[in-house]
Amino acid sequence: MSAQKDCEFLVKRARELVPDDPCAAKAWLITARTLYPADFNIQYEMYIIERNAERTTCAGRLLYDMFLNFPDQPIVWREISVITAALRNDAQDKHSQFLRGLFETLPGRIQCEMLLKATEQCFNTLEKAEMLLLLLKRFPESVVQHGVSLGETLLEAETSEKVESPINCFRKLFVCDVFPLVINNMDMRLPASLMQKYILKAAEFYIGYVTRGPSPDGQINASQEGGPLKSPSVSRGSQRYVIGGLSEKSSVVSEPWERLLDLVAVVGTRCEWQGDKGQRSYIDLLQRVKELCRYLPGLEGDTRARCCSQVVICAALVLFRNAFLYVSNVQPALFQGVSTLNLSPWILVEDFSSVYNDVDAERGTVKHTHKKRKMADGREKTISSDDEEGLGKVRGRHILVNKTEMPNWSETLEGFYTARESWDLLHSHDTLETEFKKICASWKTESWLWFRIFLTDMIIYQGQYRKALSSLHQMAAVQQPPLGQQSPSGQISLEHHRALIQQASCHYALGEYRMACEKLLDVVSGLVPPNHEPVKASEDQMRVKTKVKKSHDLRLLPCTSNAVLPFCLQLMLACFKPRAFTDTRDDLSLGHVVVLLQYDWPQGEVLFLKAVDKICLQGGFQYENFFNYVTNIDMLEEFAYLRTPDGGRIQLELLPNQGMLIKHHTVTRGITKGVKEDFRLAMERQVSRCGENLLSVLHRFCINEKIIIVQSLP
Amino acid sequence: MGDIRQSLLPRDVLSAAKELLYHLDIYISNLVQSGRQPPQVDTKTLELVEEFILHAPKDRSRMSALQELQLLEIMCSCFQEQSRDTVRQLMFSALFSLQGNQADDSRMGLLGKLVSMAVAVGRVPILECAAFWLQRTHRAYCVRLAQVLVDDYCSMMPGSVPTLQNIHSASPRFCCQFITAVTTLYDFTSEELIPPLELLQMIVSWIQDDPRIVLVTFLNTPLSGSQPVSSLDLTPLGGLVRWCVKAPLGYRRDKKQASVHCSSEIEQEVSGLFSALHLSVLQVFMLLPNLLKEKGIFGRLALLQMDSLASLTSDLSRQLDQADKHTQISTADIHVLTQLALDRLAQALQVAMANGALLCSRGACVYPSSDSGTRKTLGVQILLRLSVISRKLNEGSVFC
Repeated sequence: MSAQKDCEFLVKRARELVPDDPCAAKAWLITARTLYPADFNIQYEMYIIERNAERTTCAGRLLYDMFLNFPDQPIVWREISVITAALRNDAQDKHSQFLRGLFETLPGRIQCEMLLKATEQCFNTLEKAEMLLLLLKRFPESVVQHGVSLGETLLEAETSEKVESPINCFRKLFVCDVFPLVINNMDMRLPASLMQKYILKAAEFYIGYVTRGPSPDGQINASQEGGPLKSPSVSRGSQRYVIGGLSEKSSVVSEPWERLLDLVAVVGTRCEWQGDKGQRSYIDLLQRVKELCRYLPGLEGDTRARCCSQVVICAALVLFRNAFLYVSNVQPALFQGVSTLNLSPWILVEDFSSVYNDVDAERGTVKHTHKKRKMADGREKTISSDDEEGLGKVRGRHILVNKTEMPNWSETLEGFYTARESWDLLHSHDTLETEFKKICASWKTESWLWFRIFLTDMIIYQGQYRKALSSLHQMAAVQQPPLGQQSPSGQISLEHHRALIQQASCHYALGEYRMACEKLLDVVSGLVPPNHEPVKASEDQMRVKTKVKKSHDLRLLPCTSNAVLPFCLQLMLACFKPRAFTDTRDDLSLGHVVVLLQYDWPQGEVLFLKAVDKICLQGGFQYENFFNYVTNIDMLEEFAYLRTPDGGRIQLELLPNQGMLIKHHTVTRGITKGVKEDFRLAMERQVSRCGENLLSVLHRFCINEKIIIVQSLP
Repeated sequence: MGDIRQSLLPRDVLSAAKELLYHLDIYISNLVQSGRQPPQVDTKTLELVEEFILHAPKDRSRMSALQELQLLEIMCSCFQEQSRDTVRQLMFSALFSLQGNQADDSRMGLLGKLVSMAVAVGRVPILECAAFWLQRTHRAYCVRLAQVLVDDYCSMMPGSVPTLQNIHSASPRFCCQFITAVTTLYDFTSEELIPPLELLQMIVSWIQDDPRIVLVTFLNTPLSGSQPVSSLDLTPLGGLVRWCVKAPLGYRRDKKQASVHCSSEIEQEVSGLFSALHLSVLQVFMLLPNLLKEKGIFGRLALLQMDSLASLTSDLSRQLDQADKHTQISTADIHVLTQLALDRLAQALQVAMANGALLCSRGACVYPSSDSGTRKTLGVQILLRLSVISRKLNEGSVFC
């Protein structure tokens, strides 16, 4: 009998015994091993028994022996690759946990050797990298030898595997695992340029990750899963996200901004950045580089270059972070990570809260506010007790927001102002601007819709409306929903409206009233009028505060039917007001003003009385839509009075075709009496309409009279 | 000394014993302090012990059970409080070293009670002393002490096994000696000498928890001093091998006779226990090469004695003869059990030999392997072959 056959017999015998008497099986194998210590199958069988019984220590010991004695056995390698796979994945099943535990029982030296050899045998870049990463994590001393080369391999893999997005498995591994290991290893000496390259790679990844949009298939899922009561935006917040090549769990990156900040702090220390005291917030970063910027012109050579990269990197990160803060509040639906529950988009528009102010008074206050502003400039440092003013940073314009409607208004505005400050800093020196543009070009920021939204709002804020308009047109083209793919909730159309409303606001600011109204009326015609008037308590409160302010403030307006319709009415009012109150007679504009003044009555009382004065002065007034759209009892009463002898017998032509009637009847005596009768009846009927929903009436006005309205503007 | 005896005589038995213990303590402390080597307790003192503690002369009035219990308690605390190991050891041997006289019987009686009590209340110093005693005393007496403990804890009061179980952690040294003693005692030669199930369970669990427990005495004994003649083996390995080899046919035979209260469940448990025990024994053998090399005695000290193996083989063949005569057991069963016994013997011998626990003279049964140089043993090879061959024939497979 040959030794080979003996071995085979003994292994077979042991295998038969396993189910009934595992101890006897093991006894046989122990005996067999003393007889044939060089036989692999005997040891493998011993290992298999322990592995199948999930006895960690015994199996570990046997694996160790096999690894030492039979390093070339393919079966051993198959086993090791199963174990290393369990180490790499995050499966929580019992067997994976056992395999990980098994690995832990091995001595460190063996673990190290095993991982290195397993890495050598791996041909898939990602797996190879994960394997090597296991090694680096466990054995910090191996970072020096393998860290940078692993990082470079991963970054090269992006190119060689033709990965477009920076949010890919290679980058994730590099940014979240390899880079921190490399940069935190004090035995590593890396050139500053390399560290800067790496921190930018990390920033690109983290920013891209945070600002990732909802994936299209996720949206489909959401609309399919969501019941009738569940809006798609609700499920969108909890949507799953998977980075290609990674498991769902390892695709999760927690607290990206904080982790990025941590990296910046370490890079700062290691690159010997100026005044780096391990800043704990993005605001600290900005403060630091702002100070640094002042010394920049006096610096030369390497110091200057180092300073420049510090300023650009820090300011750029602060810019993107705060721009994101702003946009994530203004247009939450753009992002997957942001909870969009009950959050509508917001639009940065001109503020019209002072539209009801008297025209003359307004003219008078221009100088007044100017004076006020000068005064304010004088004490720039004092912070106003009014929160909104405090955030306005005085030298700029104010952005008004209804604090009850936007609970995180402070974060939003702070984000906006800080982002703008960083932007300005980045454009304060040519060198900085060039460097910043390089970053933007390599990150392709021009394709970032969210950042474009910020930039557009910033341009509006700076008053560059023409530039803003062209940007808005481009964006509108991008955002136009494809045919037949309208979102069920009208979310997309609302976002489309957003651009239109902002365009209207810009046109208005440029004095292009007709364009402004045209755009807005397009939006309004798509709206359903609210069936009750919005609660105005907070609005009123706000108005009291802002009443005397100059009219050049901006406002964040919620993009909802409830808010858009009033805004539209106010914008139209603002368009017609100057025309209505000029010295030349323009009854159509004046009539529109009267109709529009009904909203938010009696805010417009002063203006209405002024209109009445003008009508009295003219001695007559012709507006055939009067009885279609004026239902305000105070107004009706005033007009009824105007016709009386006491009121001055004003010639009012308020009925449709009344002019024609008068002409027709001048032949016959007493015809005016019939006209009078018609007016009286119309008035009486109108009084009964007082209870009608004003917003529906005004909405109808906008839709039915759209052509007339637009045409009556130059 | 005479004075002491005079002062003890008028006392009642308990206070006399107490007084003597006190005296012994002082006497031995002085002895150790004087530095005389070796410290030797004189004969007169030993005589006093026999008279006043062991009450060897029959004419002396004996203690009542209560008095004896009180005495045991005093002794317990006396050993417990003694901080010097040497003094305690000397006192223990002054009291319990066998003298080959008529007092030995009551000496053994008192020792059994004391150790049993020490187990019950966890007096580690006494267990340590007893372990030492078990190393130096003739195996016949060691076995008696073991019997007392098994009776007290496994047979008389079935619920008290856990108490004995604890000696494993309290005094591993004592535990190891206890295993050696019981494996010597229960040798399957008669029905009474089959280990009780409770004892078997306990020993298996000890060894499974920590196989090195069986090596404690071996590891802690300097090898210079030769073992007293007829003392227990240095390790229980030989006894354990005997258990495992003899159990398949031995346990079976016993249980057949007492089949009324023996369910197949218990039978299965017992066979499982022996199987596990056998594996543990092999695993202990596997530990040996490193330990022996550390001590520098690899290949020089046989932990398994050839003669005990010889007697095991003859016992086994006797068992086989008897098994054939058993009509209750089917031939097939006998064949399986025989095979199991042979397998275990062969495995134990092979593994023991490969790991240096069994030494055979090179010429007789060890030959250097031509290819690898590993030591392979001819005798075992043959035995193992036999085992393998008989199995193959049984399976009907063609063997060439």
